[in-house]
Amino acid sequence: MRKKPRFHSLKKLKVRQDWSRWSLYSISQLKAPDLVRRTYFQQKWTAKSDTRAYHGEQIREKKWRRMFKRNLPAVVPMDHKYLARYDGSEQAAGRGAGVDANEDKRAPLATPYMQMAYFPIERRLDTAIFRSLFASSVRQARQFCVHGLVRVNGKKMPYPGYMLNPGDMFQVEPSSVMFATGARKTRTSTGRRIAKEKATERGTALSQTGQTPPPPTQALPQQPIREEPTPTELKKHLQSLMHDVEDVLIADVKAKDKQKFRAFRQTVRKAISLWRTANPETISTLDTQLAFLKTQVAKASAAAASTPSSPSSTSDDDPAGPLMSPDDQEKLKSAFEKLRFESQHASAWNAKDARLPYATPWRPRDYMAAFAFIPRYLEVNQNICAAVYLRHPVARPGLAEVPTPFHQETGQLAFNWYLRRR
Amino acid sequence: MPPRLRASRFSSAVVARSPTQPQSTSQPARVSREFSQTSCQQTTLRRRKFYEWLNGPGSALREPIPGSTNYLGAYDRYGNLVRAGPGWSRKSPTEPEPEKQLDEETSVNEPSPEKSGEEKLEGQETIDELEMSVRREEESKKKTKTDESDKLPPETAQDLQPFPLNKWFRSQPVLSEELREAIYQRVHKGGATVSLASVEFGVSNERVGAVVRLKQMEKEWIAQGKTLALPYARAVLGMLPTTPHVDTSRPGNRSKRPITHEAINDLIVHPATRQQLFVPVAESRKFTREDAGKAFDNQLLPADARIPHPELIQAERELASGLSFEERKRLATERIAQEQAKKTKEEEARQADLRAQKRVPQRRWDFVFKDVSVDSVGRNGRDPRGVGWRYGFPHEDRKKGQVKIPTKVEA
Repeated sequence: MRKKPRFHSLKKLKVRQDWSRWSLYSISQLKAPDLVRRTYFQQKWTAKSDTRAYHGEQIREKKWRRMFKRNLPAVVPMDHKYLARYDGSEQAAGRGAGVDANEDKRAPLATPYMQMAYFPIERRLDTAIFRSLFASSVRQARQFCVHGLVRVNGKKMPYPGYMLNPGDMFQVEPSSVMFATGARKTRTSTGRRIAKEKATERGTALSQTGQTPPPPTQALPQQPIREEPTPTELKKHLQSLMHDVEDVLIADVKAKDKQKFRAFRQTVRKAISLWRTANPETISTLDTQLAFLKTQVAKASAAAASTPSSPSSTSDDDPAGPLMSPDDQEKLKSAFEKLRFESQHASAWNAKDARLPYATPWRPRDYMAAFAFIPRYLEVNQNICAAVYLRHPVARPGLAEVPTPFHQETGQLAFNWYLRRR
Repeated sequence: MPPRLRASRFSSAVVARSPTQPQSTSQPARVSREFSQTSCQQTTLRRRKFYEWLNGPGSALREPIPGSTNYLGAYDRYGNLVRAGPGWSRKSPTEPEPEKQLDEETSVNEPSPEKSGEEKLEGQETIDELEMSVRREEESKKKTKTDESDKLPPETAQDLQPFPLNKWFRSQPVLSEELREAIYQRVHKGGATVSLASVEFGVSNERVGAVVRLKQMEKEWIAQGKTLALPYARAVLGMLPTTPHVDTSRPGNRSKRPITHEAINDLIVHPATRQQLFVPVAESRKFTREDAGKAFDNQLLPADARIPHPELIQAERELASGLSFEERKRLATERIAQEQAKKTKEEEARQADLRAQKRVPQRRWDFVFKDVSVDSVGRNGRDPRGVGWRYGFPHEDRKKGQVKIPTKVEA
């Protein structure tokens, strides 16, 4: 039996509708067709075969030939001000008398009709799912449909070949979308072994200790008696705190910026431990930490203001009044807000969870950014993994809405192939 | 005996690598067996080139650039980011990057309409001059805020091409989260009609409807406590160019105008106008758009009636005729009221039709009785609207090979 050809072959480079590095490499190696040394039929054949490997590769050729339409849709953006001012007669007026002879008009942009040859395929449900970035390949989108993870207008649609109508809303199961677009889980034998060992350890520990693990009763160590912080000390600590606040404010809630948040938490804890009334157990939540810091700083600044003859206020810097200016306080507050959001984000939405089929915390898969675009005929809401098919893709002056990686000549040749006059 | 080569050798090696470490290309030289179905396991020239490209120019595309798009069209053959200044360097993922600004408008990256002379071709939307000036101003503000060398300049049209060979396609901006929320609030709470919101935000009619529908669903999900795909949404919106929301009600934005997302007055090219016509017309005759439409097709209406926002033309005409502001406002409200009345009348008629049908509720489905006519089969008896079994017209819907995929799903 003849071997099935590879889907991604380096011998015959074909661009496929997926986010793989093979496709990226093929796109980077694409060239304009050779129009000189080959016969017209050869050119058309190659163009057809290359474009069909990308557009609707999962559809049989006969089916596609029935879908093909020679009338390609296009729009022209109109200017309502022009339409209001002129009725169009000025374009023809005086033409016979040579009015427009010496008039140099800028040529309007060409409408790239020939890049639209495969527009009927964009109407298919599986392609639309791929285009709205819910699946990493059309084949995966197709699988989502077949597995019943896709709904059209709220009803389950198991047919990947369903032709979307303008206004149809389709939604994909968010967990599947996260799986399809997320980085893959690394499943190494070492990782598996470690997980297994840990599980057995836990099991043996549980069986040895008996049915009830003893509650962690630790005697609270005697709190060391500390002095109230001196104003200079306080100032120094506050400065470092504000430095961390700045860091947190510019940080984004991502896995990379975790260390900033962690550092901020550390400094906050340190700043609180300055006061002897502070007890790390009682002041553990973010809210209490913020409130505590505020009251203590206000108290300290008030005290410093009442005793202007304190030994440290000899120099020109004034520790008394602005230990914390109002906008600094604002900043501190927003930093705490961000910290809370981050912790929520990490715990509820993007937590580490070994049971999920993708790498956690979630991050986009490799090379996704190079393929991430959403055509204008779709309106996507990523939060709920739903999208609306607004209208059929159109060509407009200077722009074709069908995403195709090929040269315009290739598109034209492929279109000519399907005109059935070869 | 040497260990057997696994088929998944390459993929497993790639999966286990860290992002900084280059992908392995080392393959033991191995003579493939003759008459074997197994494909060649040697490091061929093609494979070597593939990994060379992947570890060289292609390595920049593996991870997204924070706060910017990362398409193939933005790089040259050697993998250098063309628009980046000499001081710019890609931050490694371990090192924190201090380039994200918290300011709402500036943190959202926007595509720049600036193009070089040869790139003039790419602009497809008619961005008028005021718009351009607004964007340029924002860009200049951004530029002055940070030093130029280590900051990535905004994307040009070429940087937004995911496919370098196809210059007719580029990644167009999508609506930002704030803009979607603003549109939803305007339509849902502010009570604006869809067409009014469309004009205000520069977003097409259909898109306004879709945004409201999707936002509504999102709110329902939040109310139900369902898990949203938030990390996914954040990552995707970070990779795409987005249209920022300019809130004109805020005191800082008084002088600005909302940025137009797309052309809202798109005229569909009618198939009848695809041909070239030569119509001899007397020079003395006033040959208008309407006449031109008639020349192509008798049913073809002029562009004024076929664009999605004909009311804008009406408003512009009233403005040109010198009516006062109050007068124009009165006329506009009259028009809107008329339209509303027409819509409610249509809706009532539809509801009345529904009520006239007899409905017998069952456990899973309802029986609905409709009036049918035997004449609907047409003269030759082959019209698909005909009901019942007709002689010589077989029912084929149970036959093999008949398409059973539904053609529409009721919303």
